[in-house]
Amino acid sequence: MTEHIQNAPQNIYKPAIMKIVAKHDEAPGVRTLKLEFQNPAEHELFKATYRTGMFGLYGIYGEGESTFCVASPETRKEYIECTFRQSGRVTSALANADIGDLITFRGPYGNRFPIEEFHGKNLLFISGGIALPPTRSVIWSCLDQREKFGKVTIVYGARTVADLVYKHELEEWQERADVDLVLTVDPGGESPDWKHKVGFVPTVLEEAAPSPENCVAVICGPPIMIKFTLISLKKLGFDEANVYTTLENRMKCGVGKCGRCNVGSVYVCKEGPVFTATEVSRMPAADL
Amino acid sequence: MTKILFTDKLHNCVEKWQSAGLTVIGPVQKANSSSYATVKNAGELDFNMVLPDRSIKELFFPQTEPILHYSIKKQEINTRESLPPNEPRIIFGARACDASGLAIDDPLFGWDYKDEYWFQRRNESVIVTIACTKADDFCMCTSLTLAPDSTKGSDVLLRPLENNKGWQVEELTERGREAFAKIADFLQESSEPAAPLAVVEEKFDLDSCVAWLKNPENFDSKFWKEISMRCIGCASCTFLCPTCHCFDIQDEGDTYSGIRRKNWDSCSFSLFTMHTSGHNPRSTQSARWRQRIMHKFNYFPGKFSVNSCSGCGRCSRQCPVDMGITETLQEISKLSQ
Repeated sequence: MTEHIQNAPQNIYKPAIMKIVAKHDEAPGVRTLKLEFQNPAEHELFKATYRTGMFGLYGIYGEGESTFCVASPETRKEYIECTFRQSGRVTSALANADIGDLITFRGPYGNRFPIEEFHGKNLLFISGGIALPPTRSVIWSCLDQREKFGKVTIVYGARTVADLVYKHELEEWQERADVDLVLTVDPGGESPDWKHKVGFVPTVLEEAAPSPENCVAVICGPPIMIKFTLISLKKLGFDEANVYTTLENRMKCGVGKCGRCNVGSVYVCKEGPVFTATEVSRMPAADL
Repeated sequence: MTKILFTDKLHNCVEKWQSAGLTVIGPVQKANSSSYATVKNAGELDFNMVLPDRSIKELFFPQTEPILHYSIKKQEINTRESLPPNEPRIIFGARACDASGLAIDDPLFGWDYKDEYWFQRRNESVIVTIACTKADDFCMCTSLTLAPDSTKGSDVLLRPLENNKGWQVEELTERGREAFAKIADFLQESSEPAAPLAVVEEKFDLDSCVAWLKNPENFDSKFWKEISMRCIGCASCTFLCPTCHCFDIQDEGDTYSGIRRKNWDSCSFSLFTMHTSGHNPRSTQSARWRQRIMHKFNYFPGKFSVNSCSGCGRCSRQCPVDMGITETLQEISKLSQ
């Protein structure tokens, strides 16, 4: 089934087969699938190439493929986790799939967060809603080698309390002494027993006022959140070159051929999805 | 003295190539349109048209092609890969613009990840280009630093003699020499002169257009809205273009069996870039037309050092609302003066 790994020519559009070994509902309509490779050679290739920030194309035969990040960290390569919101044809089929079912995966593709360059620095993670999965991959990649990094601050917000994803992990981070977690929900999204912040991510970030000193920021969220968060980071004194984000464009091939992920001259699938804020600021804003 | 292939020997050559196992393909006029198609005999080839309506692209990158066949039984997925069949072929009578188009797309299909669907066909094809002695108002190869007798992407270049008597033969590559060695018996040495090449006037100044496109200020110019106002987003230009390479991957079938396919797609369609969330980076036709022009003359050359246009003019020739690359670059030429 997977002879193409060994034999040339390789069909670059042929996916690997993955088995769903666990599933977890994160929020209404948001599910995480834990996947295991069925072919050892494909697994080895993944282990050799996967770094945090890279993405894949997940699919179900008969429905198609969809692009999302690998949500599991590069420090845990025995499996792949993906988290998605059920909204279209492919994600609906993935949501209907059960433990033991087989799905397809192509990847890992794209570039990565250069976390070696973050060694010895303070880390600030800022994320909104369903954009926590790519951030979470970086967070765990760093927390799994915690001693290599300075202070870790995570600012995460969602529309409502129910919409917060990875609730079990948020609790874990909350309890850790070596992580500062700031949680917030949009005004009106709080529940009666909500003990955390109420407000939009950029505002809450400015209140928390993390120091830009020796600090790298990783932000991921909807375009509107990124836009205003970048303004807030600037106010706090962050240099754009120390701010990283990941772009989530529509993709079909994932390997620089099909043309749709282009933003200006950038092929997001090959040159991204991870960019510094400086790089993003050079892209034509209207095409983002 | 040059090597000449006389027209009356062409049927012998076609037979010879066919008996050597080559599929012979060339310009064919059908009822409503013309294209490069497989022929049984030389009589089907049509050398009178300026160029076929459909570009050579579809011989290498078909409108739709299976990537793999799948079948699913309980907890088992079986797939059968579907790479193109081994089919050595000779394309006799390609136009210089079409052959150049293939060479333009080679680096795109080959960077980093190699698309075997493209390269297997590229490696199995001998491209015999006939220099143009006729052009129409839409031809614009000369505006793109090419010419009616450009050799880019060709294995053999033929220069027509007067009165359709035959062609002077210029073998350009080893592959071309091999193919023509097979028909050596039907070639003659002669001093017959070649007919004059088509005169293709320069339609715009490419350098000044490129400079205008590269100026970031012009990205937001109101020009884009004006020039694309009548675009109906039908994508004819991209489908007929020899260098447009965008595609979609779709499944055809059901939960039990079916085919995963690679289909042509187009940056002219609003769904092309639409996110699941509803956010669309290129939500207007003007943004999409700007992307097409920028991609061809600014972004693509930035990556691969070549413009993604070979000047065939099909985008303008077949556009239902009379706007194409020529019209756009002519307007940009004016703006940049």
